[in-house]
Amino acid sequence: MTLFEFLSDRLGRIVLQGLCAGAAALFLLATGTQPGVLLLLLLVLFLVFLGGLAWDFLGLRRRLGELTSSLDSLDQKYLFAERLPRPASSYEAQLFALLRRAGKAMIERVSDAQAAQRAYRAYVEQWVHEIKTPITAARLVSQSLPPGPRRKLDRELTQIDAHVERALFYARTESPEKDVLIRRTNLADLVDQALQAHRPLLIEHGVRVEVQGLDHTVYTDSKWAGFLLGQLLQNAARYHSDQPVVTLSAQAMGSQVRLTVADNGIGIPAHELPRIFDRGFTGSNGRSRGGSTGMGLYLAKKLAETLEISLRAVSVEGEGTQLTLTFPAQERLTKL
Amino acid sequence: MEKIMIIEDDPAVREELALLLENEGYLTRAVTNFSGIPDQVRAFGPSLILLDLGLPGRDGFSLCAQLRRLGAAPIIVVTSRNSAMDELQALSLGGDDYITKPYRIPILLARIKAVLRRSGQSAGPDTLEAGPLRLSLAQGIVQAEGQTAELTRNELKILAHLMAHAGQIVSRADLIEALWDSRIYIDDNTLSVNMTRLRGKLAGLGLPELIKTRRGMGYQYDAV
Repeated sequence: MTLFEFLSDRLGRIVLQGLCAGAAALFLLATGTQPGVLLLLLLVLFLVFLGGLAWDFLGLRRRLGELTSSLDSLDQKYLFAERLPRPASSYEAQLFALLRRAGKAMIERVSDAQAAQRAYRAYVEQWVHEIKTPITAARLVSQSLPPGPRRKLDRELTQIDAHVERALFYARTESPEKDVLIRRTNLADLVDQALQAHRPLLIEHGVRVEVQGLDHTVYTDSKWAGFLLGQLLQNAARYHSDQPVVTLSAQAMGSQVRLTVADNGIGIPAHELPRIFDRGFTGSNGRSRGGSTGMGLYLAKKLAETLEISLRAVSVEGEGTQLTLTFPAQERLTKL
Repeated sequence: MEKIMIIEDDPAVREELALLLENEGYLTRAVTNFSGIPDQVRAFGPSLILLDLGLPGRDGFSLCAQLRRLGAAPIIVVTSRNSAMDELQALSLGGDDYITKPYRIPILLARIKAVLRRSGQSAGPDTLEAGPLRLSLAQGIVQAEGQTAELTRNELKILAHLMAHAGQIVSRADLIEALWDSRIYIDDNTLSVNMTRLRGKLAGLGLPELIKTRRGMGYQYDAV
């Protein structure tokens, strides 16, 4: 609150006090008070008024300062009404009561929304687990088919599974802390898991996969990291050129491990590269080849953030794309 | 014959799994009544248990621990719950391996073989013999009539798969999948290159016609 704001709030009172003082001075002058005495009286009166105003102004400023710092110290600002200091006056008490009512109504809305989101997430997870049994059954049934139809069906089932997994991880990224479990993991095993999960797609597109120097230990959640890697492999298979080759290689960078997933595919136009991790961004490749949801890399990025993996993309249009995942050193894993 | 007990509540998965494993040469029994499972396991005496964690009205984890205390057989835990937490819990409660639905069939079969091998119930062969060849898997060496040729990892796996299916026609796609199972992520062209080299080495042993090409169908290892 500035002095000007304060004074303009009090303008009516100040004018009234001035008028009263003037009227009293006129009356005293008319009834024979000496001007010198009157002047002294007015001066004293003015100082008292000024002192009163200054006292009020400083008091208000201090109070506002207290309330502001009490709000600033809160992590969840919407809980302010629950953390108010003892009211300094009955007027403040009334104001605080109003704030509290408003705050309470909002907290109820927030917790309702949170509960609804939790319930929805739980339902998505349950649905995902339920759908996996019929997919498994269909895979088993497909074994009795001749190889041609079996492979085609397997490809479709793998696609269904990939969509289902994306839904599951999308639900999980909303509150990752209860699902993520960081463990010592062999990078070669992690890569093999992801390659096997997307094998029909990779084989169908005639992709040759080369693995180099993957014998490293990383500290991560193997399920999450496997899903992340799977998104990159699906893209590499989908946006391929002639004679597609995907190379997965790793090297130690001090205590960190960097995994590079490089393809010789169609690449990403330079002006689209900064947006590939945006939610729902499909780009010209996605539009021309179809089947892009704009969710794969968005989820990959979110998962990478949760796992403290730094995920970067480099691409030259017409030559290929390189994604690097830098796994954190064990001692650097903080919040999980 | 190795006996596998299937504990799985979904009837379709249960029946198809039993069928698949019977075709693979295992003797199976599927639990259909989910009370008194430990007694049923004891009565059957399996060499391996496939346990689904999501049984109706039961906590799969406690059942897993119970079966482990029974000491009956190694357990492969099957679940549709795909989280590291579940995996850790399943393994710490005595599961020998953990596989998530929807599993790929070759991977399931490979895991079953691996767990059986580890538990000493069945030893994987170290050498393969078919027709005139003797293939040493551990050394990567193939022998015929006193002559020896060294094979690369890719050639070894191709030849091993063909010898294991001697006389049968093996499609290129089957070969590629078999190689992927062994972490050789090969494509069609690379398979052709490797096949040519392998045939060259076999020709060096005086057996140029051992692997026949069946046009439009695949390859055939001539066992006779």
